[in-house]
Amino acid sequence: MPPEQDIFSDGDALVQVKLLHEANMQWIIALEADNNPIVLGRLLNALRRKGVGINTLTLGTRTTELSLMALVESPEEIVEHVFNFLRRMEGIRDVTYYRRESSGMACFIFIETDDNSAVVKILGNFPLSKLVFASQGKYLVEIGEKRGAASHKALTAEPGFLSFARVRTSSLTAGMPDLTEA
Amino acid sequence: MNLPNGSEILIESLERQNAKVIFGVPGGVLLPLYDALYKGDLRHVLVRHEQAAAFAADGYARVTGQPGVCVGTSGPGATNLITGLASAFMDSIPVVALTGQVTTDMIGKDAFQEGDTIGISMPVTKHSFAVRTAGEIPDVIRQAFQVAVSGRPGPVLVDLPKTALVERADPDFASEPLVSQPERLKEWRDTDIERAATMILESRRAVLYVGGGVISSGATDELRVLAELTGIPVTTTLMGLGAFPSRHPLSLGMLGMHGSYATNLSICHSDLLVAVGARFDDRATGRVKDFASQAKKIHIDVDPSEINKNVRVDLPLVGDAREILRALIGEVGGQIRRGRRVAHDERRKWLEQIESWRTEHPLNYDREASCVKPQYLIEVLSEQAEPDAIVSVDVGQHQMWAAQFYRFSQPRSWLSSSGLGSMGYGFPAAMGAQVAFPDRQVIAIVGDGGFQMTLSDLATVSEYGIPVKIVVVNNRSLGMVRQWQHMFFDKHYCDVSLGRVPDFVKLAEAYGISGARVERRVDLKDAVADFLSGHEPRLLDVRVDPEENVFPIVPPGASLAEMLVEPPVLVDKK
Repeated sequence: MPPEQDIFSDGDALVQVKLLHEANMQWIIALEADNNPIVLGRLLNALRRKGVGINTLTLGTRTTELSLMALVESPEEIVEHVFNFLRRMEGIRDVTYYRRESSGMACFIFIETDDNSAVVKILGNFPLSKLVFASQGKYLVEIGEKRGAASHKALTAEPGFLSFARVRTSSLTAGMPDLTEA
Repeated sequence: MNLPNGSEILIESLERQNAKVIFGVPGGVLLPLYDALYKGDLRHVLVRHEQAAAFAADGYARVTGQPGVCVGTSGPGATNLITGLASAFMDSIPVVALTGQVTTDMIGKDAFQEGDTIGISMPVTKHSFAVRTAGEIPDVIRQAFQVAVSGRPGPVLVDLPKTALVERADPDFASEPLVSQPERLKEWRDTDIERAATMILESRRAVLYVGGGVISSGATDELRVLAELTGIPVTTTLMGLGAFPSRHPLSLGMLGMHGSYATNLSICHSDLLVAVGARFDDRATGRVKDFASQAKKIHIDVDPSEINKNVRVDLPLVGDAREILRALIGEVGGQIRRGRRVAHDERRKWLEQIESWRTEHPLNYDREASCVKPQYLIEVLSEQAEPDAIVSVDVGQHQMWAAQFYRFSQPRSWLSSSGLGSMGYGFPAAMGAQVAFPDRQVIAIVGDGGFQMTLSDLATVSEYGIPVKIVVVNNRSLGMVRQWQHMFFDKHYCDVSLGRVPDFVKLAEAYGISGARVERRVDLKDAVADFLSGHEPRLLDVRVDPEENVFPIVPPGASLAEMLVEPPVLVDKK
């Protein structure tokens, strides 16, 4: 992120906003939480205080638990801290974060669509793939294998497809993260 | 069978958690609870403002290590608790706050004394529980105590609608443990400990940087063993005072904005910083990018979210400080036995260097002045107080002088609203500590500004005979703000003079408390001796030099190395 004084000493407001925007990193938070509005309220308040911008957020609810997945933006240097902050919060479990990754290391595809046929197609084309999250037109699909550059390019060329790599998880049941050890 | 109502279930639930006392103020929706208190044995201390209830519960928790309990009614009672909860949250103090709420059918209808207590409290508590029925109460209270003491401790709020306090239920206590036990994360491996021990033994100019986490985990003995085993000097944060004896040869005292010259320079020149239960807050670090910039850093903390929050570290060890320090002691000792070379000569030179800095600029003040210098007052109190005395301070200049000049000998005997810095804390927190330990000496050192924020609880200590000793460090101003206006705003003193400060002696007497005043240095020792004797609440109004400022000071935005050790020569712009 550019130093604070560089951002704010520039007279052009549009340039300032662009600088801030470019300094941010897009990432996904996925977690399980008590199905309790107090927990959800605390979570959203924490994201606000930490300066995490929410691009899309979707919830899947069950009787006692809810699953949340959010595509967010924040300065890269606070991502680890926010991950750690969330995983220690009361009522929240299994926090995972995924980083935008354009290389062949990306094993997860985030799809936002009203038509789930694209998701069905991926699941059919990649035998090891599985649906990690699906709710309200937002999908996170694990491809289940390291893909070559060609298949990666083909997948991410699809409109509305964003590729990610899992970086850290507090879930004991999740597989090993792609980039670093949890 | 006559089933108990929610209020009776609540009292039994609290007793099962070993709660001994509640600090609070009753109100409309809490009438059923106070009816149950009337019939039961749980002690309730009626304070004069709910903020004092929260501060008293905080003081109780700091000295006992057990959660303090406070209660306020719906609406204003609950909002008055919030400052105290915010302070406990910042300082990681386990407090359980009980708040009344309007009946469940009235929630959301803007009923009389309705407030969104859950919404208001969420950012300043570890968790807030919204009770709906009496049957939930045993489990919610057990969870509340568990959350308050687990991991990084902190405050928890339980919001109780009147309906839940009134309705009858068959409580299920059977499956509960009697008292909640803290659960702590453990995210370190033996290889991490080996690496940390190697870093420690290979260092030449190491410093142990210790915060309140060492006290809350009960790791003060382990800290001392590690420091003595390795010969590494120890500096503490404001929250860490008492974790390491002030008179120990390896003690550096407090670091940071008002840390001593030697302490701050030792941080700047260190090659290894071992942070234990400390959070690298801005008052400790100064300009953060220059904090211990030559040092490798090990960070021991129970809270993973503290790792790399303010300062990037080389080796994080997430877990209980006591467990980790024990493992480190074992590993360091093992490596020494296995023949690892320790740089004794370099370490001796490091301690000599620190000592020379200490000699160059010791903590000092004008010792010949005829007026009472506040630092001298603290020294006299430190000399004359009992060895296990508990000291509670407010916020401002007197707090910093106490941190600099009081000699601490044991943990859980220093109470300070350190993170939030809430004026008005010192006196009610002392009251809570005194309720926990009726036979120990408890001294509230307060400023004339902060004391006026919560002094209505003079009525409480008088009523209950709580023998708190209150020292008013009276400089007739909001001294710390005045100091900043003096140093950084060209002496533009704006609304910092408290002008017509009340006669605190007469005020104390109006509440039935004996008071005395000191204005001359020569009278101080005898006055303090008289003041500290006896087992009843007393007040000592000490008129100190109003011009005195706290030094050293790290100016805002500066690094620790840029501290001012004495008043700068100000150039008159006119």
